[in-house]
Amino acid sequence: MPKILRVNVSTREVKMEEAPEKYLGLGGRALTSQIVFDEVPPTCDPLGEYNKLVIAPGLLSGTSAPSSGRLSVGGKSPLTGTIKEANAGGITSQKLANLDIKAVVLEGKPADDKWYGVKIDKNGAELFDASDLAGKGTYEVTAICRQRFGEKVGVITIGPAGEMLMLAAGVTNNDGEGNSSRYAGRGGLGAVMGSKRIKAIVVDSPTTFDVPVKDPERFKAAARKFSKILLDHPVCGQGLPSYGTNVLMNIINEAGALPVRNFRFGRFEQAANVSGEKLAEVAVARGGKATHACHPGCVMRCSNVYPLPDGKVCAPIEYETAWGFGPNLEIGDLDVVARLNYICNDVGLDTIETACTLGVLMEAGVIPFGDGQAAIAALEEVAKGTALGRIIGSGAAVAGKVFGVTRVPVVKGQGIPAYDPRACKGNGVTYATTPMGADHTAGYAVTANILKVGGFVDPLSKDGQVDLSRNLQIATAAVDATGLCLFVAFAVLDNPDGVPTICEMLNAQYGLSLTPDDVVKLGQSILKVEREFNRLAGFTSKDDRLPEFFYSEPIESHNVKFDVTDEELDSVFNF
Amino acid sequence: MPGTNKLRVMLMRIEVRVFSGLEKYLPGVAFGQAFSVELPEGSTPRDLLSRLGIPEEQVFTVLKNGRHLSWDGILQDGDRIGLFPPVGGG
Ligand code: SF4
Repeated sequence: MPKILRVNVSTREVKMEEAPEKYLGLGGRALTSQIVFDEVPPTCDPLGEYNKLVIAPGLLSGTSAPSSGRLSVGGKSPLTGTIKEANAGGITSQKLANLDIKAVVLEGKPADDKWYGVKIDKNGAELFDASDLAGKGTYEVTAICRQRFGEKVGVITIGPAGEMLMLAAGVTNNDGEGNSSRYAGRGGLGAVMGSKRIKAIVVDSPTTFDVPVKDPERFKAAARKFSKILLDHPVCGQGLPSYGTNVLMNIINEAGALPVRNFRFGRFEQAANVSGEKLAEVAVARGGKATHACHPGCVMRCSNVYPLPDGKVCAPIEYETAWGFGPNLEIGDLDVVARLNYICNDVGLDTIETACTLGVLMEAGVIPFGDGQAAIAALEEVAKGTALGRIIGSGAAVAGKVFGVTRVPVVKGQGIPAYDPRACKGNGVTYATTPMGADHTAGYAVTANILKVGGFVDPLSKDGQVDLSRNLQIATAAVDATGLCLFVAFAVLDNPDGVPTICEMLNAQYGLSLTPDDVVKLGQSILKVEREFNRLAGFTSKDDRLPEFFYSEPIESHNVKFDVTDEELDSVFNF
Repeated sequence: MPGTNKLRVMLMRIEVRVFSGLEKYLPGVAFGQAFSVELPEGSTPRDLLSRLGIPEEQVFTVLKNGRHLSWDGILQDGDRIGLFPPVGGG
């Protein structure tokens, strides 16, 4: 029977419960959002006693379905105040699923200030004293845990930023090589884990792909078919495996939608120097890898392994991170980008939020635009817990207030990622309306706007963007429930067999008879639950808006503003 | 000389960049490096590719001044053209 592991940090009680019937059909984001909705009071203090941190593998995680090992981490976000699901790669999701654990729930508030870890294996779970891990960076924590509990364990951990309850702190877990860089980065969930004083969750499972499947033959056939659907698609089968996600740098730049200098311009002269092509060239020359799988069984392998000049390894550098520390700060040096990325991974900060924050600090003149060394020095303050370090760890909205900057790219308090909402309007609609705060993955309209996947909608015109964002938000919520990597969407959007094959895998695994309509309904119901949580937490349609300057200041690459009206934005959730 | 004049009017110069592996068809050109190509007025992306020797099926996206251009779209003097194979990420 699938189980839910509850760790009550008030009582130090660790309990494996049978998962209730009503959660059996849920996984990943569907389950984290439902448990948060059912158990967390929407108005609670995100860092207080009543919030919970919920960690859940997807419905297909732990099977042989390709690219299905994604992990969902949920809770009430200290950064946005909304419900939050942050999604990560890494090896932990498959391990949890193979231990038949549907969710891990951290709850309560510790009475003392000790640090604990949770060890989970096939015999159950127990707390251990983690005082020796406290204060350490995530790479070291992971290395120590691998030494102590075995090379193959998955380690979910937070860095000093999470320990210090910084609002931009993420929760990470490692890849197969032990790199602690697979972040559920967004929304400050690392601070929630820190507020529970759990430094690490070690997951030890002897198997990876052996989750019980009702009809193994049928499952195998469907998984094979899905693999082929992915590999036959030009983006999933060729684009991603060649240069990784940072292959986007040049096309977004050429399209004039690359946010440069804190969202002032749409093109950056040095974009090619921090692009995926350059990354592949340098990584391979230094003995790294241009392509890499973040968990066993991924066929798209979009990740990379980038050795820094000092021998440290950053794996991977993703497009959003390269954008945030590159063009966004007018930095054209990939080694600087990699260093900033590495520090964030180690100290435990969301790279997108931190990049937006550094952009705001540069806007304020605290550090100069383009000055990589100054950015590195500023970021190094975070681990030390200095005043500047704590501001950086608090995210862009707080930094804007502290330094009197009004040009702050956030929605619901969360930093806007790597696509300018004026020149990629579908993503603008998603940023404004997703229950998560500005989030590109929640409804990735770059597909139809710029990549010409799943149709074409002119990125500069507002026509069709609301429908596009709505449909993508629904589909994404459903994909996030399955544990499939969101990148399957490129193929699924273009191939009519895609969604039916996902249904076929779920049906074979669970003995169900889902149709594509049910998948749409699942996506809709997840969004409804999340929206309802936010409504009860005090959010209204006025929160579903972009910052003022996107409406008043045209982006120079195309001379367009964000012009989707409030009424149009308010119609996104008309379903 | 009227003849030369006519020729000048008919040629246009466009600024081209290739990315993500397409540079292998153009020895000496790096990805992202701008180079100019002269083509007769009224040329299309197809004409450009055949001039450059890049097989059409290798190219997924043609951006002209930051906007998508179809295979039959018309190139104009001074255009900035970016050529891409299938790419995605996020
Ligand atoms: S496509 Fe990339 S992010 Fe997605 S599962 Fe594979 S390696 Fe991980």
